[in-house]
Amino acid sequence: MTGKSIFRTKFDVASIVLIPACIGINYIGKLFASALKLPLWLDSIGTCIGACLGGPIIGGICGAANNLIYGLTTGDSITLIYALTSLFIGFFVGIMARAGFMKTFPKAIITSLVAGAVAIIISTPLNIIFWGGQTGNVWGDAVFAASQAASLPLWLSSLFDEIIVDVPDKIITLILVFVILKALPDKLTALYDAADEVERLD
Amino acid sequence: MRSISLYRDNGTWLCRVHPFTKLAYILAVILVPLLLGSLWAYAAAIVLDICILISGKSLRRARALIIFSFTIIVTIFLIRGLFDADNITPAFSLGPVVFYQEGLMKALRTGAVIINMLLSFSILVLTSKPEDIADELERHGFSPRLSYVIASVFSIIPQMMGTMDTITDAQRSRGMETEGKLSQRMKAFIPLITPVVTTSLINTRERAIALEVRGFGSKGKRSYLSPWKKHRGDRAMTIVLLLSIAAAAAWRLASWLS
Repeated sequence: MTGKSIFRTKFDVASIVLIPACIGINYIGKLFASALKLPLWLDSIGTCIGACLGGPIIGGICGAANNLIYGLTTGDSITLIYALTSLFIGFFVGIMARAGFMKTFPKAIITSLVAGAVAIIISTPLNIIFWGGQTGNVWGDAVFAASQAASLPLWLSSLFDEIIVDVPDKIITLILVFVILKALPDKLTALYDAADEVERLD
Repeated sequence: MRSISLYRDNGTWLCRVHPFTKLAYILAVILVPLLLGSLWAYAAAIVLDICILISGKSLRRARALIIFSFTIIVTIFLIRGLFDADNITPAFSLGPVVFYQEGLMKALRTGAVIINMLLSFSILVLTSKPEDIADELERHGFSPRLSYVIASVFSIIPQMMGTMDTITDAQRSRGMETEGKLSQRMKAFIPLITPVVTTSLINTRERAIALEVRGFGSKGKRSYLSPWKKHRGDRAMTIVLLLSIAAAAAWRLASWLS
C-alpha cells in the first residue's frame, strides 16, 4: 500500500454513520468496565474500531467527537481536555491499521503499544497543566504519591502515573478490537475498504 | 428508554437562553480567572456559577455532578499537601502526618479550577437540549453531518444499552459469573462486550442504506422541524462576555509589558 492511501478517507454515508456507533461503543465499554468494577477505563474501544475500519482521519474524528460530545452534554467536562489525546489515539491507530499492523495478533500488540505511547505523550502534559500531574485512577495515583514522596520530579511521577494506567488499558483495548474485527462479516468491512476499486464490465 | 443527556426542561429562563450564549459564558468564566491569575477571581467565578444555577433552579442537579469528582479533589489535596516538592512551611498536622502550606495552596488552585469548570459546564449541560445544540450548529453553517453525529449518539446509546442488558441477562442465564474476583470479572468482559459491539456495527450498514435512501447525502438546502424561539438579550450578553475575555487578556498583556 502506498503512503498516500494510508490517509485516504471515504466521507460517504457509511463512514458518517460509523462515527456515532463508535462513540456509542466507547460509552458501552466504559459502562461495562465500571459495571464489572475493572480498574481500567476501556473507553477507547470504539475510537480504535473506527480507526481500523475508516482510517486515521475517521479515527481522529471519532476520538475528538467522543470527548467533545460527552464533555458538552453529559456533564463529564473533565473529558473535554482529553479530546486531544483521543484524537491522536484514533489517528495513530488508524495509521497502524492501514499499514497492516492489525492483521495478526502480535502486530496488534505493537499497535497497542503505539496507542499507549501516544496516550502517555499527550496526556502527561495535560495532567500536569490541569490536575497537577494526577490521573484520577486509584492505582496510578498511588504510584504518583509514592514517587512524589521519593521526591522525584513532577513530570516523572506523572509519567509513571500515566504508564501504569494507560499502557495496560490500551493493550486490553486493542486485543478486544482485534477479536471484534476478526468476528465482523466481510460485507460490513468491505464498506470501509479505501483500497477497493470499482470494476467495470463494459 | 434511558437517556444519557442530563437536560430537563424546568421552565426557567436559563432553558430558553441560546446554547451559544452559554458557551460564551463558559469560555469567559474559565478564561478570565486564568488570565487574571488570582484565587479571588476563581472564587468570584464560582459564586457567579452558583448564582446562575440557583436562579435556573438547577443547583441541586449540579451538585450531583460535583460530588462525582469530589474524590479526585480530595486526593489532590492529600498528595499535594503531603508530598509536593516545594513543601517547606508546615500548615497543620494530623497525628504523625504533616500537611504543608505550599502544597495545599497549589491544591486549592487546582480544586478551584476543577469546580469552576464543572459548575460552568453544568449550566450548559443541565439546561440545553443536545438536539438543540446540534440544530443551532447546523443553522450557523456547520455541516449537517456533524449535527447528525451529535443527534445520533443520543439515540444510539439508549439502544445499545438495551442490547447490553439483553446480552448480560442471556450470558448470566447460561451461567456466566459477572461478579467475584478481578480475573473472573476480566474474563466476563469479552463475552459481554463483543456481541454488543458486533451487533451495533452490523446495524450501521442498514442505517447507512436507510439514510442514503432518504437523501442524507443530498446537497440541497434543508428546512428545520422546530425553529429556535429567540430569548431577549442573547446577543448583548454574548458580546459582554467576549469583551470581558478581551479585557482580561489586555490586562494580562499590560502587566507583562510593564
